Amino acid sequence: MTEQLLESEQVLNGEACDLTYFALAATATQAEKNEQPRSSAPARLGELPDVLGGRYKIERLLGVGGMGAVYRARDLLREQFGDPEPYVALKTLSDDFAEYPDANSLLYSEFALTARLNHPNVVRLFGFEVDVPSQRAFLILELLKGPTLDQLLCERPEGLPWDELSEIAIALLEALTYSHQLGVLHGDLKPSNVMLADDGLRLFDYGLGQPVEGLLPGLPRLCRNRFTAWTPRYAALELLDGAPLSPAADVYALACVLYELASGRHPFRRLSAKQAKSMELDKQLQRPEQLPVHCWPALRTALAFEQAQRTISCAELLHAFRAPPLGRWTRWLRGTH
Amino acid sequence: MQEIASSLWRSAARTDTGKVRARNEDAFLALPEQGLWVVADGMGGHQNGALASRLIVEYLAEPSEGNLQQRLVELRKRLHGLNRRLGQELTVTAERPDTLIGSTVVALLVDGDRAACVWAGDSRCYLWRGSRLYQLSRDHSLRQQLIDEQQYSPEQAARHPSAHALTRAIGASEELQLDILELDVLPGDAFLLCSDGLYQGLSSDALGAALNLPSAHFALQRLFEQALDGPARDNLSAVVIRR
Repeated sequence: MTEQLLESEQVLNGEACDLTYFALAATATQAEKNEQPRSSAPARLGELPDVLGGRYKIERLLGVGGMGAVYRARDLLREQFGDPEPYVALKTLSDDFAEYPDANSLLYSEFALTARLNHPNVVRLFGFEVDVPSQRAFLILELLKGPTLDQLLCERPEGLPWDELSEIAIALLEALTYSHQLGVLHGDLKPSNVMLADDGLRLFDYGLGQPVEGLLPGLPRLCRNRFTAWTPRYAALELLDGAPLSPAADVYALACVLYELASGRHPFRRLSAKQAKSMELDKQLQRPEQLPVHCWPALRTALAFEQAQRTISCAELLHAFRAPPLGRWTRWLRGTH
Repeated sequence: MQEIASSLWRSAARTDTGKVRARNEDAFLALPEQGLWVVADGMGGHQNGALASRLIVEYLAEPSEGNLQQRLVELRKRLHGLNRRLGQELTVTAERPDTLIGSTVVALLVDGDRAACVWAGDSRCYLWRGSRLYQLSRDHSLRQQLIDEQQYSPEQAARHPSAHALTRAIGASEELQLDILELDVLPGDAFLLCSDGLYQGLSSDALGAALNLPSAHFALQRLFEQALDGPARDNLSAVVIRR
Protein backbone atom coordinates (compact mmCIF):
# COMPACT_ATOMS: atom_id res chain seq x y z
CA MET A 1 0.00 0.00 0.00
CA THR A 2 1.59 3.21 -1.08
CA GLU A 3 0.83 6.78 -0.35
CA GLN A 4 1.33 9.64 -2.64
CA LEU A 5 0.01 13.16 -2.62
CA LEU A 6 -1.70 14.44 -5.71
CA GLU A 7 -1.48 18.12 -5.16
CA SER A 8 -4.19 19.64 -7.27
CA GLU A 9 -7.20 17.36 -7.20
CA GLN A 10 -10.31 19.27 -6.26
CA VAL A 11 -13.28 17.64 -4.73
CA LEU A 12 -16.07 18.91 -2.57
CA ASN A 13 -18.67 20.53 -4.77
CA GLY A 14 -15.95 21.71 -7.09
CA GLU A 15 -14.95 24.48 -4.75
CA ALA A 16 -11.52 25.97 -4.99
CA CYS A 17 -9.85 24.49 -1.98
CA ASP A 18 -6.64 22.87 -1.01
CA LEU A 19 -8.28 19.53 -0.38
CA THR A 20 -6.05 16.77 -1.57
CA TYR A 21 -6.34 13.06 -2.08
CA PHE A 22 -3.94 10.46 -0.96
CA ALA A 23 -3.77 8.38 -4.09
CA LEU A 24 -2.90 4.76 -3.58
CA ALA A 25 -2.70 1.58 -5.52
CA ALA A 26 -5.71 0.01 -3.83
CA THR A 27 -8.04 2.84 -4.78
CA ALA A 28 -7.10 2.52 -8.42
CA THR A 29 -9.05 -0.72 -8.62
CA GLN A 30 -12.13 -0.77 -10.76
CA ALA A 31 -15.17 0.27 -8.80
CA GLU A 32 -18.03 -2.16 -8.99
CA LYS A 33 -20.97 -0.86 -10.94
CA ASN A 34 -23.42 -2.13 -8.45
CA GLU A 35 -25.30 1.01 -7.71
CA GLN A 36 -27.54 0.91 -4.73
CA PRO A 37 -29.53 4.00 -4.00
CA ARG A 38 -30.22 4.58 -0.37
CA SER A 39 -33.64 4.61 0.98
CA SER A 40 -35.31 5.53 4.16
CA ALA A 41 -38.84 5.23 5.38
CA PRO A 42 -40.82 7.13 7.95
CA ALA A 43 -41.02 5.49 11.33
CA ARG A 44 -44.40 4.14 12.30
CA LEU A 45 -43.55 1.86 15.14
CA GLY A 46 -41.84 3.25 18.21
CA GLU A 47 -38.13 2.74 18.72
CA LEU A 48 -37.17 -0.48 20.43
CA PRO A 49 -37.04 0.33 24.16
CA ASP A 50 -33.83 -0.21 26.13
CA VAL A 51 -35.58 -2.52 28.56
CA LEU A 52 -38.14 -4.99 27.24
CA GLY A 53 -40.87 -6.41 29.41
CA GLY A 54 -39.56 -4.41 32.37
CA ARG A 55 -36.86 -7.02 32.78
CA TYR A 56 -34.54 -7.50 29.81
CA LYS A 57 -31.94 -4.77 29.26
CA ILE A 58 -30.81 -4.84 25.64
CA GLU A 59 -27.03 -4.67 25.42
CA ARG A 60 -25.99 -5.34 21.86
CA LEU A 61 -27.23 -6.42 18.47
CA LEU A 62 -26.12 -9.95 17.64
CA GLY A 63 -27.71 -10.55 14.29
CA VAL A 64 -30.02 -9.29 11.58
CA GLY A 65 -31.93 -11.79 9.49
CA GLY A 66 -34.20 -9.75 7.28
CA MET A 67 -37.36 -10.52 9.24
CA GLY A 68 -36.07 -10.05 12.72
CA ALA A 69 -33.15 -9.04 14.84
CA VAL A 70 -31.49 -10.84 17.74
CA TYR A 71 -30.01 -8.98 20.68
CA ARG A 72 -27.97 -9.91 23.70
CA ALA A 73 -29.78 -8.78 26.83
CA ARG A 74 -29.23 -8.86 30.57
CA ASP A 75 -32.04 -10.36 32.61
CA LEU A 76 -32.32 -7.78 35.40
CA LEU A 77 -34.38 -10.12 37.55
CA ARG A 78 -31.77 -12.86 37.44
CA GLU A 79 -29.10 -10.27 38.02
CA GLN A 80 -30.94 -9.02 41.11
CA PHE A 81 -30.76 -12.52 42.56
CA GLY A 82 -27.03 -12.62 42.00
CA ASP A 83 -26.91 -14.82 38.89
CA PRO A 84 -23.35 -14.35 37.59
CA GLU A 85 -24.44 -15.09 34.01
CA PRO A 86 -27.76 -13.30 33.63
CA TYR A 87 -27.50 -13.07 29.84
CA VAL A 88 -30.09 -14.17 27.32
CA ALA A 89 -30.76 -13.65 23.61
CA LEU A 90 -33.91 -11.80 22.57
CA LYS A 91 -35.51 -12.06 19.17
CA THR A 92 -37.77 -9.29 17.93
CA LEU A 93 -39.51 -8.88 14.59
CA SER A 94 -38.36 -6.21 12.18
CA ASP A 95 -40.66 -3.24 11.88
CA ASP A 96 -41.85 -4.44 8.46
CA PHE A 97 -43.34 -7.50 10.10
CA ALA A 98 -44.09 -6.01 13.49
CA GLU A 99 -46.65 -3.87 11.67
CA TYR A 100 -48.61 -6.88 10.41
CA PRO A 101 -51.85 -7.08 12.40
CA ASP A 102 -51.04 -10.61 13.56
CA ALA A 103 -47.31 -10.12 13.88
CA ASN A 104 -47.23 -11.14 17.50
CA SER A 105 -48.98 -14.40 16.79
CA LEU A 106 -46.37 -15.01 14.11
CA LEU A 107 -43.64 -14.85 16.72
CA TYR A 108 -45.78 -16.89 19.08
CA SER A 109 -46.05 -19.63 16.51
CA GLU A 110 -42.24 -19.79 16.42
CA PHE A 111 -42.26 -20.08 20.19
CA ALA A 112 -44.91 -22.79 20.23
CA LEU A 113 -43.03 -24.80 17.62
CA THR A 114 -39.55 -24.51 19.11
CA ALA A 115 -40.65 -24.89 22.72
CA ARG A 116 -41.69 -28.45 21.87
CA LEU A 117 -38.16 -29.31 20.83
CA ASN A 118 -35.79 -30.63 23.45
CA HIS A 119 -32.55 -31.64 21.77
CA PRO A 120 -28.91 -30.77 22.53
CA ASN A 121 -28.49 -29.44 18.98
CA VAL A 122 -31.61 -27.28 18.87
CA VAL A 123 -31.67 -23.86 20.50
CA ARG A 124 -33.50 -23.70 23.84
CA LEU A 125 -36.33 -21.22 24.28
CA PHE A 126 -37.08 -19.68 27.65
CA GLY A 127 -40.22 -17.74 26.85
CA PHE A 128 -42.44 -15.52 24.78
CA GLU A 129 -43.48 -12.12 26.08
CA VAL A 130 -45.01 -8.88 24.93
CA ASP A 131 -43.58 -5.54 26.00
CA VAL A 132 -46.84 -3.76 26.74
CA PRO A 133 -45.83 -0.10 26.27
CA SER A 134 -44.25 -0.71 22.85
CA GLN A 135 -46.61 -3.58 21.91
CA ARG A 136 -43.64 -5.57 20.71
CA ALA A 137 -43.52 -9.31 21.13
CA PHE A 138 -40.19 -10.98 21.73
CA LEU A 139 -38.71 -14.41 22.31
CA ILE A 140 -36.24 -15.15 25.07
CA LEU A 141 -33.64 -17.72 24.09
CA GLU A 142 -30.44 -19.17 25.48
CA LEU A 143 -27.46 -16.98 24.67
CA LEU A 144 -24.97 -18.88 22.55
CA LYS A 145 -21.34 -18.05 21.96
CA GLY A 146 -19.47 -19.23 18.93
CA PRO A 147 -19.21 -18.79 15.18
CA THR A 148 -22.15 -19.43 12.88
CA LEU A 149 -21.53 -21.60 9.83
CA ASP A 150 -21.48 -18.59 7.49
CA GLN A 151 -18.63 -17.15 9.58
CA LEU A 152 -16.87 -20.51 9.49
CA LEU A 153 -17.23 -20.64 5.71
CA CYS A 154 -15.72 -17.16 5.40
CA GLU A 155 -12.66 -18.39 7.26
CA ARG A 156 -12.47 -21.75 5.48
CA PRO A 157 -13.06 -20.99 1.81
CA GLU A 158 -11.61 -24.39 0.88
CA GLY A 159 -14.23 -26.28 2.92
CA LEU A 160 -13.72 -28.70 5.78
CA PRO A 161 -11.90 -32.04 5.91
CA TRP A 162 -14.09 -35.08 6.58
CA ASP A 163 -13.37 -35.40 10.32
CA GLU A 164 -14.55 -31.85 10.98
CA LEU A 165 -17.29 -31.95 8.37
CA SER A 166 -18.78 -35.20 9.64
CA GLU A 167 -19.00 -33.93 13.20
CA ILE A 168 -20.93 -30.82 12.11
CA ALA A 169 -23.02 -32.66 9.52
CA ILE A 170 -24.12 -35.39 11.91
CA ALA A 171 -25.07 -32.94 14.68
CA LEU A 172 -27.01 -30.81 12.21
CA LEU A 173 -28.71 -33.80 10.62
CA GLU A 174 -29.60 -35.14 14.06
CA ALA A 175 -31.17 -31.81 15.00
CA LEU A 176 -33.29 -31.66 11.86
CA THR A 177 -34.19 -35.36 11.94
CA TYR A 178 -35.39 -34.89 15.51
CA SER A 179 -37.42 -31.83 14.48
CA HIS A 180 -39.03 -33.68 11.62
CA GLN A 181 -39.82 -36.65 13.86
CA LEU A 182 -41.75 -34.27 16.09
CA GLY A 183 -43.53 -32.80 13.10
CA VAL A 184 -41.71 -29.48 13.12
CA LEU A 185 -40.36 -28.13 9.83
CA HIS A 186 -37.67 -25.46 9.95
CA GLY A 187 -38.37 -23.55 6.75
CA ASP A 188 -35.23 -21.41 6.58
CA LEU A 189 -32.14 -23.56 6.91
CA LYS A 190 -28.94 -21.74 5.97
CA PRO A 191 -25.41 -21.35 7.35
CA SER A 192 -26.23 -18.29 9.47
CA ASN A 193 -28.94 -20.25 11.32
CA VAL A 194 -26.48 -22.81 12.67
CA MET A 195 -24.02 -21.97 15.41
CA LEU A 196 -21.01 -23.89 16.65
CA ALA A 197 -21.53 -23.02 20.31
CA ASP A 198 -18.96 -23.76 22.99
CA ASP A 199 -20.90 -26.84 24.06
CA GLY A 200 -21.98 -28.08 20.66
CA LEU A 201 -23.85 -27.22 17.50
CA ARG A 202 -27.23 -25.46 17.65
CA LEU A 203 -29.85 -25.11 14.97
CA PHE A 204 -31.93 -21.99 15.54
CA ASP A 205 -34.41 -19.54 14.02
CA TYR A 206 -37.60 -21.47 13.38
CA GLY A 207 -39.17 -18.15 12.35
CA LEU A 208 -40.52 -19.64 9.13
CA GLY A 209 -41.13 -23.02 10.71
CA GLN A 210 -44.39 -24.90 10.31
CA PRO A 211 -45.96 -27.89 11.97
CA VAL A 212 -46.65 -30.75 9.57
CA GLU A 213 -50.26 -31.02 8.57
CA GLY A 214 -52.54 -32.05 11.41
CA LEU A 215 -50.07 -31.37 14.18
CA LEU A 216 -50.87 -28.60 16.64
CA PRO A 217 -54.27 -27.74 15.20
CA GLY A 218 -55.33 -24.26 16.12
CA LEU A 219 -51.82 -22.93 16.24
CA PRO A 220 -51.59 -19.77 14.17
CA ARG A 221 -50.17 -21.00 10.92
CA LEU A 222 -47.93 -18.81 8.95
CA CYS A 223 -49.79 -18.94 5.69
CA ARG A 224 -47.38 -19.15 2.83
CA ASN A 225 -49.90 -17.74 0.39
CA ARG A 226 -50.14 -14.54 2.29
CA PHE A 227 -46.72 -14.48 3.77
CA THR A 228 -44.10 -16.07 1.61
CA ALA A 229 -40.49 -15.77 2.63
CA TRP A 230 -37.24 -17.58 2.00
CA THR A 231 -33.50 -17.19 1.64
CA PRO A 232 -32.96 -17.33 -2.11
CA ARG A 233 -29.81 -19.46 -2.19
CA TYR A 234 -31.18 -22.15 0.08
CA ALA A 235 -34.87 -22.30 -0.83
CA ALA A 236 -36.10 -25.41 -2.63
CA LEU A 237 -37.51 -24.90 -6.11
CA GLU A 238 -41.07 -25.75 -5.10
CA LEU A 239 -41.08 -23.06 -2.38
CA LEU A 240 -40.11 -20.46 -4.95
CA ASP A 241 -43.05 -21.69 -7.02
CA GLY A 242 -45.46 -21.25 -4.13
CA ALA A 243 -45.70 -24.81 -2.82
CA PRO A 244 -46.18 -25.32 0.92
CA LEU A 245 -43.23 -26.09 3.15
CA SER A 246 -42.41 -29.78 3.36
CA PRO A 247 -39.69 -31.97 4.90
CA ALA A 248 -38.22 -32.23 1.40
CA ALA A 249 -37.71 -28.45 1.23
CA ASP A 250 -35.74 -28.59 4.50
CA VAL A 251 -33.70 -31.45 3.05
CA TYR A 252 -32.77 -29.39 -0.02
CA ALA A 253 -31.63 -26.43 2.09
CA LEU A 254 -29.66 -28.66 4.43
CA ALA A 255 -28.02 -30.41 1.49
CA CYS A 256 -26.91 -27.03 0.12
CA VAL A 257 -25.33 -26.24 3.49
CA LEU A 258 -23.58 -29.62 3.68
CA TYR A 259 -22.24 -29.32 0.14
CA GLU A 260 -20.95 -25.84 0.94
CA LEU A 261 -19.23 -27.07 4.11
CA ALA A 262 -17.55 -29.88 2.19
CA SER A 263 -16.34 -27.81 -0.75
CA GLY A 264 -16.36 -24.20 0.46
CA ARG A 265 -18.67 -23.45 -2.47
CA HIS A 266 -22.43 -23.25 -2.82
CA PRO A 267 -23.50 -26.21 -5.00
CA PHE A 268 -25.12 -23.98 -7.61
CA ARG A 269 -22.81 -20.97 -7.80
CA ARG A 270 -24.83 -19.12 -5.16
CA LEU A 271 -27.83 -19.05 -7.47
CA SER A 272 -31.41 -19.75 -6.53
CA ALA A 273 -32.81 -23.17 -7.42
CA LYS A 274 -34.87 -21.56 -10.17
CA GLN A 275 -31.88 -19.90 -11.82
CA ALA A 276 -29.70 -22.98 -11.36
CA LYS A 277 -32.35 -25.23 -12.89
CA SER A 278 -32.74 -23.04 -15.94
CA MET A 279 -28.97 -23.25 -16.42
CA GLU A 280 -29.05 -27.03 -15.80
CA LEU A 281 -26.34 -26.67 -13.20
CA ASP A 282 -27.35 -29.95 -11.58
CA LYS A 283 -25.85 -31.80 -14.54
CA GLN A 284 -22.43 -30.40 -13.69
CA LEU A 285 -22.62 -31.20 -10.01
CA GLN A 286 -19.49 -32.99 -8.81
CA ARG A 287 -18.75 -34.72 -5.54
CA PRO A 288 -16.72 -32.39 -3.31
CA GLU A 289 -13.28 -33.94 -2.92
CA GLN A 290 -13.46 -33.93 0.85
CA LEU A 291 -16.77 -35.77 0.90
CA PRO A 292 -16.43 -39.56 1.14
CA VAL A 293 -17.73 -41.46 -1.84
CA HIS A 294 -20.40 -43.26 0.17
CA CYS A 295 -22.13 -39.97 1.14
CA TRP A 296 -22.39 -38.62 -2.39
CA PRO A 297 -25.40 -40.52 -3.77
CA ALA A 298 -27.43 -39.44 -0.74
CA LEU A 299 -26.33 -35.81 -0.90
CA ARG A 300 -26.80 -35.75 -4.67
CA THR A 301 -30.40 -36.97 -4.27
CA ALA A 302 -31.04 -34.37 -1.55
CA LEU A 303 -29.91 -31.65 -3.96
CA ALA A 304 -32.46 -32.60 -6.64
CA PHE A 305 -34.36 -29.55 -7.90
CA GLU A 306 -37.63 -31.42 -8.36
CA GLN A 307 -39.35 -32.35 -5.14
CA ALA A 308 -40.49 -35.65 -6.66
CA GLN A 309 -36.87 -36.63 -7.30
CA ARG A 310 -35.65 -35.56 -3.88
CA THR A 311 -36.50 -38.99 -2.57
CA ILE A 312 -34.49 -38.96 0.60
CA SER A 313 -35.51 -38.04 4.10
CA CYS A 314 -33.39 -36.22 6.63
CA ALA A 315 -33.08 -39.47 8.62
CA GLU A 316 -31.77 -41.31 5.52
CA LEU A 317 -29.28 -38.54 4.85
CA LEU A 318 -28.13 -38.84 8.46
CA HIS A 319 -27.77 -42.59 8.02
CA ALA A 320 -25.52 -42.07 5.00
CA PHE A 321 -23.31 -39.57 6.83
CA ARG A 322 -23.06 -41.83 9.89
CA ALA A 323 -21.94 -44.86 7.90
CA PRO A 324 -18.21 -45.46 8.21
CA PRO A 325 -16.30 -44.54 5.06
CA LEU A 326 -15.61 -47.60 2.96
CA GLY A 327 -12.04 -48.79 2.83
CA ARG A 328 -10.25 -48.84 -0.48
CA TRP A 329 -10.64 -52.64 -0.83
CA THR A 330 -14.31 -52.61 0.02
CA ARG A 331 -14.92 -49.92 -2.59
CA TRP A 332 -13.01 -51.98 -5.12
CA LEU A 333 -14.94 -55.11 -4.26
CA ARG A 334 -18.24 -53.24 -4.54
CA GLY A 335 -17.17 -51.53 -7.70
CA THR A 336 -17.82 -48.03 -6.35
CA HIS A 337 -14.27 -46.77 -6.80
CA MET B 1 -22.31 13.32 22.55
CA GLN B 2 -19.51 11.41 24.15
CA GLU B 3 -15.95 12.43 24.82
CA ILE B 4 -13.39 9.91 25.89
CA ALA B 5 -9.86 10.69 26.90
CA SER B 6 -6.95 8.30 27.13
CA SER B 7 -3.27 8.94 27.69
CA LEU B 8 -2.59 9.14 23.96
CA TRP B 9 -5.66 9.81 21.89
CA ARG B 10 -8.69 11.95 22.51
CA SER B 11 -11.83 11.69 20.50
CA ALA B 12 -15.30 13.11 20.43
CA ALA B 13 -18.17 11.51 18.57
CA ARG B 14 -21.78 12.34 17.86
CA THR B 15 -24.64 11.37 15.61
CA ASP B 16 -27.84 13.28 14.85
CA THR B 17 -30.97 12.35 12.92
CA GLY B 18 -30.97 15.74 11.16
CA LYS B 19 -34.04 17.81 10.41
CA VAL B 20 -35.83 15.71 7.80
CA ARG B 21 -35.31 11.99 8.30
CA ALA B 22 -37.61 10.14 10.66
CA ARG B 23 -34.92 7.86 12.00
CA ASN B 24 -31.18 7.71 12.34
CA GLU B 25 -29.51 5.01 10.25
CA ASP B 26 -25.98 6.09 11.19
CA ALA B 27 -23.86 4.51 13.89
CA PHE B 28 -20.43 5.33 15.30
CA LEU B 29 -17.79 3.79 17.50
CA ALA B 30 -15.12 5.63 19.47
CA LEU B 31 -12.63 3.46 21.36
CA PRO B 32 -9.53 5.64 21.86
CA GLU B 33 -8.07 3.17 24.36
CA GLN B 34 -8.06 0.57 21.57
CA GLY B 35 -7.09 3.02 18.84
CA LEU B 36 -10.28 2.31 16.87
CA TRP B 37 -12.97 4.62 15.51
CA VAL B 38 -15.77 3.87 13.06
CA VAL B 39 -18.64 5.59 11.28
CA ALA B 40 -21.27 3.54 9.42
CA ASP B 41 -24.22 4.82 7.42
CA GLY B 42 -26.90 2.19 6.90
CA MET B 43 -29.38 1.71 4.09
CA GLY B 44 -32.34 -0.55 3.59
CA GLY B 45 -35.63 1.07 4.51
CA HIS B 46 -37.67 0.74 7.68
CA GLN B 47 -35.28 -0.04 10.49
CA ASN B 48 -32.99 -2.19 8.35
CA GLY B 49 -30.47 0.56 7.65
CA ALA B 50 -30.13 1.33 11.33
CA LEU B 51 -29.71 -2.37 12.11
CA ALA B 52 -27.00 -2.77 9.46
CA SER B 53 -24.89 0.15 10.68
CA ARG B 54 -25.37 -0.91 14.29
CA LEU B 55 -24.38 -4.48 13.48
CA ILE B 56 -21.14 -3.28 11.91
CA VAL B 57 -20.27 -1.11 14.87
CA GLU B 58 -21.08 -3.88 17.37
CA TYR B 59 -18.98 -6.45 15.52
CA LEU B 60 -16.01 -4.10 15.22
CA ALA B 61 -16.27 -3.15 18.90
CA GLU B 62 -15.39 -6.69 19.98
CA PRO B 63 -11.79 -6.57 21.26
CA SER B 64 -9.09 -7.45 18.79
CA GLU B 65 -5.52 -8.39 19.77
CA GLY B 66 -2.15 -7.80 18.18
CA ASN B 67 -0.28 -5.15 16.27
CA LEU B 68 -1.73 -2.88 13.61
CA GLN B 69 -1.41 -5.45 10.83
CA GLN B 70 -3.03 -8.20 12.88
CA ARG B 71 -5.87 -5.93 13.94
CA LEU B 72 -6.30 -4.82 10.34
CA VAL B 73 -6.58 -8.43 9.17
CA GLU B 74 -9.17 -9.11 11.88
CA LEU B 75 -11.17 -6.00 11.05
CA ARG B 76 -11.25 -6.90 7.37
CA LYS B 77 -12.27 -10.46 8.21
CA ARG B 78 -15.20 -9.19 10.27
CA LEU B 79 -16.32 -6.82 7.51
CA HIS B 80 -16.15 -9.57 4.89
CA GLY B 81 -18.16 -11.82 7.21
CA LEU B 82 -20.79 -9.13 7.64
CA ASN B 83 -20.89 -8.62 3.89
CA ARG B 84 -21.80 -12.26 3.45
CA ARG B 85 -24.31 -12.13 6.28
CA LEU B 86 -26.13 -9.07 4.93
CA GLY B 87 -25.75 -9.95 1.26
CA GLN B 88 -26.34 -13.69 1.08
CA GLU B 89 -28.02 -14.85 4.23
CA LEU B 90 -31.04 -12.57 4.38
CA THR B 91 -34.54 -13.95 4.49
CA VAL B 92 -36.65 -12.11 1.94
CA THR B 93 -40.39 -12.06 1.33
CA ALA B 94 -42.14 -12.63 -1.97
CA GLU B 95 -43.44 -9.07 -1.78
CA ARG B 96 -39.96 -7.65 -1.47
CA PRO B 97 -37.58 -10.15 -3.01
CA ASP B 98 -34.94 -7.50 -3.62
CA THR B 99 -34.65 -6.43 -0.02
CA LEU B 100 -31.30 -4.84 0.50
CA ILE B 101 -29.69 -4.27 3.84
CA GLY B 102 -26.32 -2.62 3.77
CA SER B 103 -24.10 0.04 5.18
CA THR B 104 -21.11 2.15 4.39
CA VAL B 105 -18.18 1.89 6.75
CA VAL B 106 -15.13 3.99 7.42
CA ALA B 107 -12.77 2.89 10.18
CA LEU B 108 -9.54 4.31 11.54
CA LEU B 109 -7.09 2.04 13.37
CA VAL B 110 -4.09 3.50 15.16
CA ASP B 111 -1.07 1.84 16.73
CA GLY B 112 1.81 4.06 17.87
CA ASP B 113 2.80 6.23 14.95
CA ARG B 114 1.01 4.20 12.29
CA ALA B 115 -2.59 4.44 11.24
CA ALA B 116 -4.78 2.56 8.79
CA CYS B 117 -8.00 3.78 7.25
CA VAL B 118 -10.43 1.18 5.84
CA TRP B 119 -13.60 2.04 3.98
CA ALA B 120 -16.41 1.01 1.65
CA GLY B 121 -19.00 3.52 0.47
CA ASP B 122 -19.11 7.27 0.78
CA SER B 123 -18.48 7.85 4.47
CA ARG B 124 -15.19 9.68 4.66
CA CYS B 125 -11.94 10.01 6.54
CA TYR B 126 -10.18 13.38 6.55
CA LEU B 127 -6.79 14.32 7.90
CA TRP B 128 -5.94 17.80 9.14
CA ARG B 129 -2.17 18.16 8.96
CA GLY B 130 0.00 21.26 8.82
CA SER B 131 -3.02 23.53 8.28
CA ARG B 132 -4.18 21.54 5.28
CA LEU B 133 -7.13 19.23 4.84
CA TYR B 134 -6.58 15.89 3.14
CA GLN B 135 -9.35 13.53 2.18
CA LEU B 136 -7.87 10.11 2.88
CA SER B 137 -10.81 8.08 1.59
CA ARG B 138 -12.11 8.15 -1.95
CA ASP B 139 -15.89 7.74 -2.20
CA HIS B 140 -17.33 4.60 -3.70
CA SER B 141 -20.17 6.53 -5.30
CA LEU B 142 -21.48 6.99 -8.80
CA ARG B 143 -20.40 10.63 -8.62
CA GLN B 144 -16.80 9.64 -7.95
CA GLN B 145 -16.97 6.99 -10.64
CA LEU B 146 -18.18 9.52 -13.22
CA ILE B 147 -15.32 11.82 -12.30
CA ASP B 148 -12.72 9.05 -12.38
CA GLU B 149 -13.85 7.05 -15.38
CA GLN B 150 -15.85 9.39 -17.57
CA GLN B 151 -13.95 12.59 -16.96
CA TYR B 152 -16.98 14.42 -15.57
CA SER B 153 -16.18 17.62 -13.73
CA PRO B 154 -17.22 17.53 -10.06
CA GLU B 155 -20.09 19.93 -10.91
CA GLN B 156 -21.35 17.75 -13.78
CA ALA B 157 -21.09 14.62 -11.72
CA ALA B 158 -22.96 16.20 -8.81
CA ARG B 159 -25.88 17.01 -11.14
CA HIS B 160 -26.33 13.36 -12.13
CA PRO B 161 -29.68 12.19 -10.73
CA SER B 162 -28.07 9.19 -9.05
CA ALA B 163 -24.89 10.97 -8.02
CA HIS B 164 -25.15 9.70 -4.46
CA ALA B 165 -25.72 6.06 -5.40
CA LEU B 166 -23.06 3.86 -3.86
CA THR B 167 -20.82 1.63 -5.92
CA ARG B 168 -19.66 -0.31 -2.88
CA ALA B 169 -21.05 -1.01 0.57
CA ILE B 170 -21.12 -3.79 3.14
CA GLY B 171 -23.94 -6.12 2.04
CA ALA B 172 -24.33 -4.66 -1.45
CA SER B 173 -22.57 -7.30 -3.55
CA GLU B 174 -21.21 -10.81 -3.28
CA GLU B 175 -17.56 -9.83 -3.31
CA LEU B 176 -16.64 -6.95 -1.07
CA GLN B 177 -13.70 -4.80 -2.01
CA LEU B 178 -12.42 -2.74 0.88
CA ASP B 179 -10.04 0.12 0.31
CA ILE B 180 -7.20 0.54 2.75
CA LEU B 181 -4.76 3.36 3.29
CA GLU B 182 -1.88 3.18 5.72
CA LEU B 183 0.05 6.21 6.83
CA ASP B 184 2.42 7.57 9.45
CA VAL B 185 0.87 9.72 12.14
CA LEU B 186 2.61 13.02 12.87
CA PRO B 187 2.34 15.23 15.95
CA GLY B 188 -0.60 17.63 15.59
CA ASP B 189 -2.56 15.40 13.22
CA ALA B 190 -6.33 15.44 13.58
CA PHE B 191 -8.66 12.96 11.89
CA LEU B 192 -12.33 13.25 11.05
CA LEU B 193 -14.56 10.29 10.22
CA CYS B 194 -18.02 11.30 9.01
CA SER B 195 -21.12 10.27 7.10
CA ASP B 196 -22.18 12.12 3.95
CA GLY B 197 -24.89 13.92 5.90
CA LEU B 198 -22.16 15.88 7.66
CA TYR B 199 -19.75 16.68 4.85
CA GLN B 200 -22.43 17.48 2.28
CA GLY B 201 -23.56 20.45 4.26
CA LEU B 202 -20.11 21.88 4.91
CA SER B 203 -17.38 23.35 2.74
CA SER B 204 -13.90 21.97 3.07
CA ASP B 205 -12.85 25.32 4.53
CA ALA B 206 -15.43 24.85 7.25
CA LEU B 207 -14.19 21.32 7.93
CA GLY B 208 -10.60 22.56 8.13
CA ALA B 209 -11.47 25.47 10.39
CA ALA B 210 -13.26 23.14 12.80
CA LEU B 211 -10.42 20.62 12.86
CA ASN B 212 -8.00 23.45 13.56
CA LEU B 213 -9.67 24.04 16.93
CA PRO B 214 -7.58 22.92 19.90
CA SER B 215 -9.74 20.01 21.10
CA ALA B 216 -11.73 17.19 19.54
CA HIS B 217 -14.73 18.28 21.58
CA PHE B 218 -14.67 21.85 20.26
CA ALA B 219 -14.12 20.67 16.70
CA LEU B 220 -17.09 18.34 16.88
CA GLN B 221 -19.27 21.01 18.42
CA ARG B 222 -18.40 23.45 15.64
CA LEU B 223 -19.06 20.86 12.91
CA PHE B 224 -22.51 20.02 14.25
CA GLU B 225 -23.48 23.64 14.90
CA GLN B 226 -22.71 24.48 11.31
CA ALA B 227 -24.23 21.37 9.77
CA LEU B 228 -27.43 21.70 11.79
CA ASP B 229 -27.61 25.36 10.83
CA GLY B 230 -28.15 24.19 7.25
CA PRO B 231 -30.93 22.01 5.81
CA ALA B 232 -29.56 18.80 7.49
CA ARG B 233 -31.66 16.60 5.19
CA ASP B 234 -29.74 13.45 6.02
CA ASN B 235 -28.55 11.81 9.22
CA LEU B 236 -25.17 13.17 10.24
CA SER B 237 -22.37 11.56 12.22
CA ALA B 238 -18.81 12.47 12.98
CA VAL B 239 -15.86 11.35 15.06
CA VAL B 240 -12.96 13.77 15.62
CA ILE B 241 -9.72 12.19 16.75
CA ARG B 242 -6.52 13.88 17.87
CA ARG B 243 -3.57 13.33 20.11
